[in-house]
Amino acid sequence: MSVNGVSHEKQEPVLRVARVRKNYGSFTALDGVSLDVESGEVVAVIGPSGSGKSTLVRCIDQLVGIDGGAIYLDGELLGYERRRGTLRPMKNARIAAQRRRMGMVFQNFNLFPHLTVRENITEVLRRSHGVSKPDADRRALEVLDRVGIGEKADHYPRRLSGGQQQRVAIARAVAPSPRIMLFDEPTSSLDPALVSEVLTVMQDLAEAGHTMVVVTHEIRFAHDVADRCVFMRQGRIVEEGPAKRMLTGPATDELRDFLSHVGSL
Amino acid sequence: MTLTAPSIDAAEDVAQAKPRIRVWRWVTGTVFTLFAIQFAHFLVTNERFEWPVVWEYLFDKSIMEGIRTTLTLWLVVIVLGTVAGVCVALAKLSSYAPSRWLATAYVSVFVAIPPLVQLIFWFNLAYLQPEISIRIPFGPVFHSWPTNVVISTWTAAVLALAIVESAYMSEIIRGGILGVDAGQTEASKAVGFGSGVTFFKIIVPQALRIILPAWGTRLVTVLKATSLVSIVALTDLLRSVQEIYNVTYQTIPLLLVACFWYLVMVTVLTTVRNQLERRFSRGHDVGGPARTGRVRTARRQANRVAVDG
Ligand SMILES: Nc1ncnc2c1ncn2[C@@H]1O[C@H](COP(=O)(O)OP(=O)(O)OP(=O)(O)O)[C@@H](O)[C@H]1O
Ligand SMILES: [Mg+2]
Repeated sequence: MSVNGVSHEKQEPVLRVARVRKNYGSFTALDGVSLDVESGEVVAVIGPSGSGKSTLVRCIDQLVGIDGGAIYLDGELLGYERRRGTLRPMKNARIAAQRRRMGMVFQNFNLFPHLTVRENITEVLRRSHGVSKPDADRRALEVLDRVGIGEKADHYPRRLSGGQQQRVAIARAVAPSPRIMLFDEPTSSLDPALVSEVLTVMQDLAEAGHTMVVVTHEIRFAHDVADRCVFMRQGRIVEEGPAKRMLTGPATDELRDFLSHVGSL
Repeated sequence: MTLTAPSIDAAEDVAQAKPRIRVWRWVTGTVFTLFAIQFAHFLVTNERFEWPVVWEYLFDKSIMEGIRTTLTLWLVVIVLGTVAGVCVALAKLSSYAPSRWLATAYVSVFVAIPPLVQLIFWFNLAYLQPEISIRIPFGPVFHSWPTNVVISTWTAAVLALAIVESAYMSEIIRGGILGVDAGQTEASKAVGFGSGVTFFKIIVPQALRIILPAWGTRLVTVLKATSLVSIVALTDLLRSVQEIYNVTYQTIPLLLVACFWYLVMVTVLTTVRNQLERRFSRGHDVGGPARTGRVRTARRQANRVAVDG
């Protein structure tokens, strides 16, 4: 586990989650979770409700602090720094800078309702990434076109359907070209009819080579699009492996049980 | 199979129906009208209203001075009260416990004590602390002034009203900030915004929409509350009419002058408030091209009732 790049047999992972623990009071939401995500890899995280999937991606994005272990992005420790041998939390501004290298998509979209669709993206590019106004405008329209919302650029988010809002949220997350995209159940609050338009956009991103961690209940999507699948239960990773093999032939009883409950492929 | 419309008795076609006869509406309408006529008659024929006197003083120079004092006081109190209110609200929302305790104590004390009592208290501060000084607690004194010079009638009035106002405002502002969906803060962090951008560009614009109706109500409340200062001999609108009728004994007509001007000011304020609210509901009307839908109007009214009541 050399951080200084002495070993060359394997490329450094984009994301390394190492023995992460997270407690909510006396409740252990993450109980020593370890996960490496390589560049260009798509990892699906599945598991029953309350297993800690959301907590995991929120910890990665530094939206909640962790109580043990460490998370690295491109080899850089997230949220903490060593000064004169002592490990201390970073200043908020530095944590913000680290978050800018990740893109997050929430279950409830969380678009900024007082900004237009275009401004939702340009404000992020300009304020977080120092992009000039014309460049930000160009980039916003480019990503909006890519998710098929180009003609709604000047609408306010509330006027769009859930599927459209989520596609805008994906465009907002991908616009700054993050090192990794994190998705927390991006289709769970959508009408069934709107799910596929969002999954299609995500599949496009996956095929374009984006590194992605996707928490999802869409087993079909995990099977078809993800390279690797992670099955969580009670704050632990119970099974992990190539998505297709794992979802068609689960090795553990827990995963077999879970898959039989959420429905077969 | 052919569809045939069932036949109906032509007399029972509801298209022919006449409006329902509403007896009680006629009764109450008549009663109201009678009262209205009676009242108008009272206003016009009762000599003691002394309408010519009202007219004589309506634009009197001392009345205009009084209005100016009232409006200046109002403006200063609103500005100070809002700024201090923001600070107290932030203190109460802080993750630092002592600042939360302090803010909570501040609000409880200054909301509980009647403004009139506070006003008189500030006015008499010189008795308690004859000198006001800048110094390190229990340490050397850098400079000091006699309290009576610092706390003039004017500052006593401003202090009392602004402190009360900041306590109310802080609760309104805090409610507004808490009313913004927590997901907004998360999304703002997630896109890499710092705490300044998150607060001023994401939270505040959305909180304003929640805050404005209640804040607008305070504008009116404070305008009316300024009349309290007449008790410490500050010549506001109320005091200026009092000073006249204390000499001329034309109490009722001069009070009518004050009523007239308060009514004018409050009406203007209410209009401004409605405009402000409309402006800040950007992005919050769902669907439809009409930006002033019935739903929004209804919601706004519901809001106002909730706040005023
Ligand atoms: N802020 C919090 N305070 C206390 N407990 C929490 C908090 N957030 C999550 N939990 C608990 O942590 C556990 C894991 O939650 P998490 O949201 O990560 O689950 P999940 O796998 O995403 O579930 P779901 O599929 O329902 O979204 C749950 O038991 C939840 O009740
Ligand atoms: Mg979840």
